[in-house]
Amino acid sequence: MSEPYDVIIVGSGAGGGMSAYTLTKAGLKVLLLEAGRNYDPVTETPMFNIPSEAPLRGTSTPDKPFGFYDATVDGGWQVPNEPYTIAEGSEPFMWWRPRMMGGRTNHWGRISLRFGPLDFKPKSRDGLGQDWPITYDELAPWYDKVERLIGVTGRAQGLPNTPDSPDGCLQPPPTPRAYEQFVTRGFNGLGIPVAAMHAAVLTQPLNGRAACFYATSCGRGCSIKANFQSTTVLLPPAMATGNLDIRANALVYQVDLDRTGKAKGVTFVDRVTGEHHSVTARSVVLAAGACESARILLNSKSAAFPDGLCNTHGMVGRYLMDSVGTSVSGQFPALENLPPTNDDGMSVGHIYVPWWGYEKQSRKQLPFPRGYHIEMGGGRAMPGMNLGAMLSASGDLTVGSALREDARRIYGSYIGFAGRGEMIPNEDCYTDLDPQVKDKWGIPVLRFHWKWSEHETGQAAHMVQTFLEVIDKLGGKPTPGYQTDGKQAISRGGEIIHEVGTVRMGHSPEDSVVNAYGQSWAVKNLFVTDGAVLVSSPDKNPTLSILALAWRSSDHLAGLARRGEL
Amino acid sequence: MSHQKAQSGITPYVSRVDRRTTLAWLGGAVAAGLAAGAGAVPGAAEAAVVAANTLKGYGTDPKLTHPDKAPWPRLMTPAQLQAAAVLCDFILPASADAPSATALGVPDFIDEWISAPYPAQVADRPAILEGLDWLEAEAQRRHHAVLLQLASADRAALLTSLAAKPTDPSLNKPHIFLWRFRALVIGAYYTTKPGFKDIGYHGNVALAAYPGPSDAVKAHLDRELKKLGL
Repeated sequence: MSEPYDVIIVGSGAGGGMSAYTLTKAGLKVLLLEAGRNYDPVTETPMFNIPSEAPLRGTSTPDKPFGFYDATVDGGWQVPNEPYTIAEGSEPFMWWRPRMMGGRTNHWGRISLRFGPLDFKPKSRDGLGQDWPITYDELAPWYDKVERLIGVTGRAQGLPNTPDSPDGCLQPPPTPRAYEQFVTRGFNGLGIPVAAMHAAVLTQPLNGRAACFYATSCGRGCSIKANFQSTTVLLPPAMATGNLDIRANALVYQVDLDRTGKAKGVTFVDRVTGEHHSVTARSVVLAAGACESARILLNSKSAAFPDGLCNTHGMVGRYLMDSVGTSVSGQFPALENLPPTNDDGMSVGHIYVPWWGYEKQSRKQLPFPRGYHIEMGGGRAMPGMNLGAMLSASGDLTVGSALREDARRIYGSYIGFAGRGEMIPNEDCYTDLDPQVKDKWGIPVLRFHWKWSEHETGQAAHMVQTFLEVIDKLGGKPTPGYQTDGKQAISRGGEIIHEVGTVRMGHSPEDSVVNAYGQSWAVKNLFVTDGAVLVSSPDKNPTLSILALAWRSSDHLAGLARRGEL
Repeated sequence: MSHQKAQSGITPYVSRVDRRTTLAWLGGAVAAGLAAGAGAVPGAAEAAVVAANTLKGYGTDPKLTHPDKAPWPRLMTPAQLQAAAVLCDFILPASADAPSATALGVPDFIDEWISAPYPAQVADRPAILEGLDWLEAEAQRRHHAVLLQLASADRAALLTSLAAKPTDPSLNKPHIFLWRFRALVIGAYYTTKPGFKDIGYHGNVALAAYPGPSDAVKAHLDRELKKLGL
């Protein structure tokens, strides 16, 4: 296809992939630019590989921070040649980036929870944070469409602020594993309901994709396309329209404007050749990931926008959020010597615990304002190098047949509990350009500023208390090393890899960068469709909402294009 | 006397690392600025340790479906590798149903681990190598023989004394070493197919549907939950 394209999309992950799918299906000519290399899950996914086939038994290293078989290419907490910095006096911040087609959708956790009605109106709920310019009901039709397209497990359970999907949207959830049935009784004993997991994993075939065969961790990606990855679910049908060109290794750093102040395209550096190129289009969609999209805007300086594009009110990079996280694991004598059983399942949990404290919070009976959900892992998962530490923690220094007996007894008797909670946006958490540091190609890099507030540390302390209670209820012992002080227990900023905000949507140019459709207030043919537009960061993992918002925004963009209003 | 001990000694461990891989490490070592032959020549191990810290790992985009062998050269001396083998089979000797740790190449894995250029493995390296050296020296001190040549009763007594909670403070450090070494052996052993079988890992097979726990498993859970009042 020739320039100018109708749309240039920057990024191929959840936001970019969804935008490409929607816009090409609407008949628009699209160029998608991805900073990473091409990637083919069908031929590159290590299905069935076991640890002994990998260096260091697949243990995580700085080269592969989530383990050798994790899908992530050329990235993790550091990307070669592309540094970032932390401001002096800031709390730590970590930024996970891959450099591959499909971005983080290749390795993500697949947990797909709808935000609820309260999550869109947090300020109205308790005076904290900011209300979204849309309601749950306005976004719900796109949640329905996304679930039907990508395939999400789950079941209607009628729990507060945890929306049920209309009939026909969800796939049947798999039966809970042995340890999940066990832990369910523990939570129920504390009066806490447990729900079927909503995961972007097929339990029934869909659109030519196979159902999960309950082996091989989703974090590796999936060659049979049973889970949702942009590279298996969104980009192939977009390519099939004939309306999509894709260019890999294109690291976009600037949005270019024409004389009238409209976007005319973008400029990128080819990561392999080091050459700089500009490409043109009638509109531009940024979906490079919340932080990278902010970086592109901040680096797009002009006479009209000396502090970065769309940054007249200093809003770009503001209100950076992550999820609150902490975890405790426990060892359970009741699970020792269970008859061996296949616990692989769909790799992600088959159950989770939605936030159960809405009523208490509305009565101000909890010392923190917002909720969290609980994810669990355990059972007889494929053994890894951590088995050594597990056995060290749970017994004597046995050898020989006594060790083999200990191993059989202890294996599968651990359950890990992880909380994922809502963070309230604050003035201390934001990103800007580092005044000195540049990447390999001379482009200024991001500098992060981070500070958890008491809202989050109080919540983290409550998570730990809950985990200790349920471990005790089930006759288990917590693994030493956990912290009961929320300030010590809480994850580092960015560590949960749910960084959102930075280019938020809102009601006016004074309180936001883009409108309710991700359309920039300052440049009307410039859109943002990744997690940057999120106004709040509820406990629910953000990917499903990013997909729904990207679809809705792209529908709007396509409508404007059709009517010649861009 | 020494002849008698040789008879009761054990067969030396034969490394499972093939010659092609060793040559590849040498190539890597040369590329990293090492003198040719380092790591294979006695006395070059120390230089190799220093050089290993400047070596790179497998990189940020390794082939995942058919992984290459770990690219870094191995740092254990032949004596350290033999001591590791003795210790591996003290920790997990063959059982009626499962092979020994050495039969699964675990000593080579420990060498791969402590030789790796990554921070966690580099941190393990000194304690593991010193522990293996201590074990060999202790065999000489107690019995005036190399570890491999000890009478089996002497070797068993030495290793068992190491495994017991130390009353003699001079055994504190070797005891801590053994805990760490044991954790590595456990990890290495049970992440293999024979290890899966021995521990009862039944997954990694394609299923048409996920059946959930069997009736026997559910009955076990019900019994245990009843005891807990749940």
